[in-house]
Amino acid sequence: MSQSANQRSRKMLACTAEATAYQKAFGQDLRRRVVDDQEPYAIVQADTPHELFHAMGIPIVTNQWWSAYISAKQLSGRYFDAMVDKGFPANSCKYCSLGLACTLANEPETAPWGGLPSPTVLVARLTCDCIQHVFGLWAHELGSEFFAMEAPAWEHKEEDWYANARADWERVYQPDRIAQMVREMEDLIVLLEERTGRKFDAAKFETLMERINEQEGYIWEAARAIGEARPCPVSIAEQMPNTMIPQWHRGSDWAVAHARKFRDEVLERIAQGQGAATQERLRLMWIGAGVWHDPGFYQALEENLGAVFVWSMYMPFAGPAYIRDIKGRPMEALASRVASMNETLHLPPWMSGWITSEAKRCGIDAAVILLPPDNRLSQSGTKLTALALEEAGVPVLMIDADMVDAKIWDHDRMVAMVEAFLRDKGLA
Amino acid sequence: MIAIAGPNLPLELLTATGRHAGVVGFDPDLETPRADRWLESKFAPWARAVLEGWAQGAYDDLDQVLFSRADDTSQRLYYYVCELQRRGLLGGPEAIVLDIAKIPRRTSLDRTVEKLREMGERLCVSEEALEKAIVASHDRAGDGSTAPGEGRVCLLAGTNPPDMRLHEAVARAGFRAAGRTLAQEWLDPGAPAQRDSGDPYAALGRKLHARGEGPRSFADPAAALRAGLAASGAEAVVLWRIEEDEAQCWHLPQERAAIEASGLPSLILTRRDWLGRDGSAAQIESFLMEVSA
Repeated sequence: MSQSANQRSRKMLACTAEATAYQKAFGQDLRRRVVDDQEPYAIVQADTPHELFHAMGIPIVTNQWWSAYISAKQLSGRYFDAMVDKGFPANSCKYCSLGLACTLANEPETAPWGGLPSPTVLVARLTCDCIQHVFGLWAHELGSEFFAMEAPAWEHKEEDWYANARADWERVYQPDRIAQMVREMEDLIVLLEERTGRKFDAAKFETLMERINEQEGYIWEAARAIGEARPCPVSIAEQMPNTMIPQWHRGSDWAVAHARKFRDEVLERIAQGQGAATQERLRLMWIGAGVWHDPGFYQALEENLGAVFVWSMYMPFAGPAYIRDIKGRPMEALASRVASMNETLHLPPWMSGWITSEAKRCGIDAAVILLPPDNRLSQSGTKLTALALEEAGVPVLMIDADMVDAKIWDHDRMVAMVEAFLRDKGLA
Repeated sequence: MIAIAGPNLPLELLTATGRHAGVVGFDPDLETPRADRWLESKFAPWARAVLEGWAQGAYDDLDQVLFSRADDTSQRLYYYVCELQRRGLLGGPEAIVLDIAKIPRRTSLDRTVEKLREMGERLCVSEEALEKAIVASHDRAGDGSTAPGEGRVCLLAGTNPPDMRLHEAVARAGFRAAGRTLAQEWLDPGAPAQRDSGDPYAALGRKLHARGEGPRSFADPAAALRAGLAASGAEAVVLWRIEEDEAQCWHLPQERAAIEASGLPSLILTRRDWLGRDGSAAQIESFLMEVSA
C-alpha cells in the first residue's frame, strides 16, 4: 500500500463539482438500471464505439471507468491479490484486468454494486495481446459473450495526423481500416438488436455525432486557450473530470451543456488572470493515464516550486481524436474516430508527433512520463516520445508506476522524484 | 531476400517469391544498448535482440523484413523500425507488415485474405506460383522425414525459448524435449492450406486466420496443451513462461488444471528470464532427474 495514497486534489471550478456530482448520480442510476432493473447492458473498453450504445439507449459500463471506480475505493490491491490466489501471475497487465479481478474475487460484500451482473455483451478492440484473453475470461466468468473488434495494422503514417484528422479522416486513418471497422460495427448492431430488442436509429445516431462534435469543440476550444494562457487557469486535476465525465456521456444534452459551461469557466478565469497555482513558474506535461488513486499528486509541487501540470492527454485529445466532419457518412466518421484512438496515444509516429507538437503549443518546460511496469501497451511509444521531446528541448522524467495499482505508488516518493528531476535540470 | 520477424506468417507465399531468407537471425545474448534506448521493458525479449542487430547492420543484406499482426511485439516493432528509419536512426531493409486478423468472424477472415492478396501483389507472386507452393507444402507434410526420436519425452510447453538451451537441459536428464524454439515456431508451416481450391490466396488466408498457435489465437490453450501431451507421449511436462508474456499467462490456471488432470509429473515456471539466467535450465534438469529416480 502506498504511504500516503489518495491525496485529494484541490478544485477551483464550480463545474468540476457539478461534473463529479453528475457522475455520482449517473453511477447510482446506472446501478439501478443494471443491477436493480436488470436492463440489458454492455461492458466496453474506452476505445470502442460507445456512440452505438448511446444511440440505442443501451447502458454501458466502461472498463476503464469501472477500474478507476474500484481503484478510487482502494480495492485494487485486494482484488489483484485475489487474482494471484487463483493462479494468475502477479505481473499480469493491471489496467484492463481490475474489473476481471473484481469478478474473480467474487466478494459481493466488498465489490462496488455487489459486483457486476451478467452483461449482454463485452466489447473490446484488440489493441494488445492480453485484452482478448482478459475479456474472454471475463465473459466466461460472467456467463456472457465477448465481441472482439480488430485493431488493424496502420501502414499510412502521418506524423501530423492531428492537423488533418477532422477534415481528411479518410486519408489519415486509411480507407480499408475504416471500412473494416464499419463492417464490424454493423455486426455489433445486429447482435445488440437481437439480444436487447432495441433498434438502431440512424437519424438519432447522426444527430448524436453532430452533438459530439459540438461538445468536443467546446473542450478543444478550452484546451487551446489553456495552452496559450499564462498562468494556466486550470490544473489537469480539473481538466480531466471536466473532459472525461462528459466524454462518458458524449452527445447527451448534459454533456454538451457541461462542456460549454466548462469552456466558459476556463475562458472567464483566463480573462481574470486567475491561475491554477498562486505563482506559476514551470509548466509540466503529464504523459500517460491518470493516477486515479492519487489525484493530489498533480498539485503537490505547485506551492513550493510553482510547478504546474498544465497538460495531460485527455483534454487536448478531444480535438483531433473526436471532432470529425461527418460528410453524410456518420458510420465512417465514427469508425475513423475509434479505429486509431489507442494507436495515436501509444505508437510512433502518431504519439511522438502529437505530443511534441502539443509541448510546443503549450509552452511546456518539462514532461513526466508514466511507465507502467507490467503493461506493454501503456509503455509503448514512451521512449521514442521522450527522445523526440528531448530533441525539442523538453527534459523528460520517466517514472515506473501503475495508474490503477496503488501498491507500487508512494505519493511522497513520487513527488520527491519529480522535484529532484526539476532541480537536477536546473528548472527549480 | 525477405526474412520474417513474427509468427503466423504465410510461408507458402514467401516460398513462392523465391526470396525467402527464413527468420531474421539474432543473438539472444547480445548486449542491446541501442535497442534499450528505444524499446520499453515489456516487449518480448527477441525484439530487443533483433532491433540491436538491425542497428548493427546485421540485416543490411536483406531487402525486406516481414512482421506479423498476429503478435503484439512483432506488430509494434514494425512501427518502431519504420519510425527509427524515418528519423534516420536506423537503416537496413524495408519493414513490412501483414495484417493478419484472427477474430473468428467473417469480417476478420475477409480482412486476412484481402491483405494477403495485397502482399502477394507487392511481392509479385502470381496465383499460379502460390498454388504451386501450396502443393509443395502438401508434399513436404507427407514425406515422413521427421522420424520419431527415442527415449522418454518431456513436453516443453509455454514460451518458445530463444534456442536449444532448455532442450539441452532436458537431454542432460535423459529425456527428449518435445517443444519448439522461437525460430522453429515461426517457421512451422502448420497444416497445409487447401490445394486446388481455385483461389490459393483465399485458401492460404483461411489457414492463417484459423491457425491455433500464438498470442492472438482464439483457440483454447489448455486444449492445445492437452493435445500436445497426447501427441508427444510425454512422461513429464515443463510449463515455462517468461516475464514478458502478456497473453498466454492468462490461461495459466486452466493449463495448470490440465497438467494436474494428466497426472504427469510437472514443473511450472512462470515470470522467468528468457535467457535462463535465473537457473531455469538447472531447475528443469534437477526436476527430471528426480522424475527418473
